[in-house]
Amino acid sequence: MTIFHFFNCAVLTFGPHAVYYSATPLSEYDTLGTSIKAAVVYLVTTLVKLVCLATFLKVSESDSFDPYQELMKAMIGFIDVAGLYFALTRLTHRNISQNHKFQAVGLGWAFADSVLHRLAPLWVGARGLEFTWDYILQGLEANANLVLSISLAALGSLMWLRKNKPKPLIPVIYVCAGIVATMPSITSYLRRGLEWHFPKIVGFELFISLIMAFISWQLFVACQRSSY
Amino acid sequence: MAKLQKSQPAALVDPVYSSVITLLIIVMACVEICDAVTVVDVYRLVQYDLGGVPFGSRLAALNHHAGSSLLSSSEVADLSRTVLILPVRELNLTLIREYIGQRKPLGGLLLLLPPVFSSQNLDSGGGAGHDSDKGFMKEVLTELERVLIHANIPYPVYFGFEDEYVNAVLADVKKNDATGQLATATTGGYKLLVAAAEPKKVTSPTVTNIQGWLPGLRADGDSNQLPTIAVVASYDTFGAAPALSVGSDSNGSGIVALLEIVRLFSALYSSPKTRGRYNMLFALTSGGPYNYNGTQKWLRSLDQRLRESIDFAVCLNSLGSSSNELWIHVSKPPENAYIKQIFEGFSSVSGELGLKVGLKHKKINISNPRVAWEHEQFSRLRVTAATVSALAVAPDFLESAGGLSDNRHFVDEVSISQSVKLVAESLARHIYGQDGKNTDIFADNSSLSVNPYYIRSWLEFLSTTPRVGPFLPKSDPLIMALKKELEDHTVEVNIQQEAFDGLLTFYDSTSARLHIYQVASVTFDLLLLLVLGSYLITLFSFLVITTRGLDDLISLFRRPTSRKVKTA
Repeated sequence: MTIFHFFNCAVLTFGPHAVYYSATPLSEYDTLGTSIKAAVVYLVTTLVKLVCLATFLKVSESDSFDPYQELMKAMIGFIDVAGLYFALTRLTHRNISQNHKFQAVGLGWAFADSVLHRLAPLWVGARGLEFTWDYILQGLEANANLVLSISLAALGSLMWLRKNKPKPLIPVIYVCAGIVATMPSITSYLRRGLEWHFPKIVGFELFISLIMAFISWQLFVACQRSSY
Repeated sequence: MAKLQKSQPAALVDPVYSSVITLLIIVMACVEICDAVTVVDVYRLVQYDLGGVPFGSRLAALNHHAGSSLLSSSEVADLSRTVLILPVRELNLTLIREYIGQRKPLGGLLLLLPPVFSSQNLDSGGGAGHDSDKGFMKEVLTELERVLIHANIPYPVYFGFEDEYVNAVLADVKKNDATGQLATATTGGYKLLVAAAEPKKVTSPTVTNIQGWLPGLRADGDSNQLPTIAVVASYDTFGAAPALSVGSDSNGSGIVALLEIVRLFSALYSSPKTRGRYNMLFALTSGGPYNYNGTQKWLRSLDQRLRESIDFAVCLNSLGSSSNELWIHVSKPPENAYIKQIFEGFSSVSGELGLKVGLKHKKINISNPRVAWEHEQFSRLRVTAATVSALAVAPDFLESAGGLSDNRHFVDEVSISQSVKLVAESLARHIYGQDGKNTDIFADNSSLSVNPYYIRSWLEFLSTTPRVGPFLPKSDPLIMALKKELEDHTVEVNIQQEAFDGLLTFYDSTSARLHIYQVASVTFDLLLLLVLGSYLITLFSFLVITTRGLDDLISLFRRPTSRKVKTA
């Protein structure tokens, strides 16, 4: 029964990634290599991030919200953006359209994140006898994260890869990218600073991720239209 | 083709992370042990064989769902996979007696004792308003204990204490039972788990007797020719839960009284001027609940000459109840000169102390193996002896031996002080030839007065120390402490260790840790799987429609084989 629950949570956490890959044209253009490269870049980025965190942050005994430390953390969080930049622009991809490239990168990015951050707790917790909603919520959070990663990748590809963007949209793109990139810090603030409960945070994340996905989609469509 | 590729990412990503994952799994395996909602200490019902016949709770491992009542769930019939949580406060004794008597199947039983009975909380339970309530609880517990000890119960039975969390769990379980719903995550299904190995027989249990010697003053010649007075108390206990059998009254009060008497006489005997013409022999014996077989072994091992020099022995037993009545139990007829002398000595002192002392005569039946009082072991070897006790009637086998209800809250220090004074004073008057005279040797406020703080500290120590004989190893801290105390006050201390009587066999795992998990039912997981499945299918359809168009989705289902041709 507990293995069953583990399976359920795993499906919720990793299922959407697989579904996204197989349902969209990504699978038909064979973009798996790109995704894997993105995942490797994520891994390296995370390592760098860990080293930075260990170097610049004090270990706080209390679980309280310290603005300075959080700012530091947010700054370090922007290493993610650098990693994404690298994955989008510097990696040599096989000839796939920009349209598919950002999706593949975002997908690989989110999948690597899920595996690194959620598989372990899932394996420990969801197989235990004890039932909590936490792992189901965590799965939902993984979904939100997938949407956010793809949105960020989309915005990144708009920023760095597309040359002829309509001028008025440029600040909007940067603001949106900024918001998406700071999402981890925002949720951390909500959790520690405002002491929101986990369900509320997950709800918030899902909500924001859908909005950001919608906005970035619209931006992408707008940019695409203008380029023709 | 596409379907095949779908499964590839996991397979390809795996080698990258596999080492990380294996490392994490190892870490997790360690973490997993302590992820329960709560862990509480529980104490198992005693498990023993008496002459090969099994008694008590025969199992230790527990892994079942929680239930809350015998009645409501008996309609559901099958309780064999349910652990009943029953607070003793609300226990229906007739029902449980019937249940155990008919040997109905049960997954397990968790009996919750009121926190008053916990040896951990010595200070909080003293509320005067609940005295009648406590008295009632004590009766219920005694009765329950009697039922449980003498039954052969094929499932694990544990005792725990009510606390905030356990009560919350119980309330949840009750609510659940009342509505008759199946346990689910949302309605609060609980699983109780005790990971314990099969109980094993306690290997080579020992009986340890501790003996202290205060030699009397000899005018000329050998001290062995002086008569000896023995003061004896048994120190071990027996109860439904060995790990909870602290026996404050039986026989903690006896030990405390003996130690205080030793202290008083050691003060007298330390100076040759006040040393009496009697040797004093003090003994703390084991095996008290089992027909005083430790006493028997100790007496047998005593030197013949020493045993014959014993003028009389006073056994101390259960002196802590707050009534003003004490009984002197003897097995020789009251007309016997020695008995008369002892009784008169006691009753003259008791008059001064405002105590009432009665004499009870119970003949020994040699053919009956039951030895109800410690002095009977002396009498069987023709040594004059008497037991001083607050109990009026002889307890049955394995009863009044320091069970669940016998704890600090039911023991009165003042009565112990009074009894100590009574025994010490009568002995001293006998030793110094002051029989019948009104000399107050251990007068209050003198340097020889009974020390209530000494009594209290020992009583508190004993009330937190379970002392079921077979579970005490040879060098148990308790035995060492008692030995040290006797060494401090007597001249010569001997420890006698012998094998425990083979008739009784005890089993270990007397205490355990109970993990309480809140669990979801399989139905819940099935539902969850359905919801997740439909979510993924919806997501799939949505993505296909938005990225490739509706026609593509339909064609996916219509002709899956020709898909590749079409897309290419």
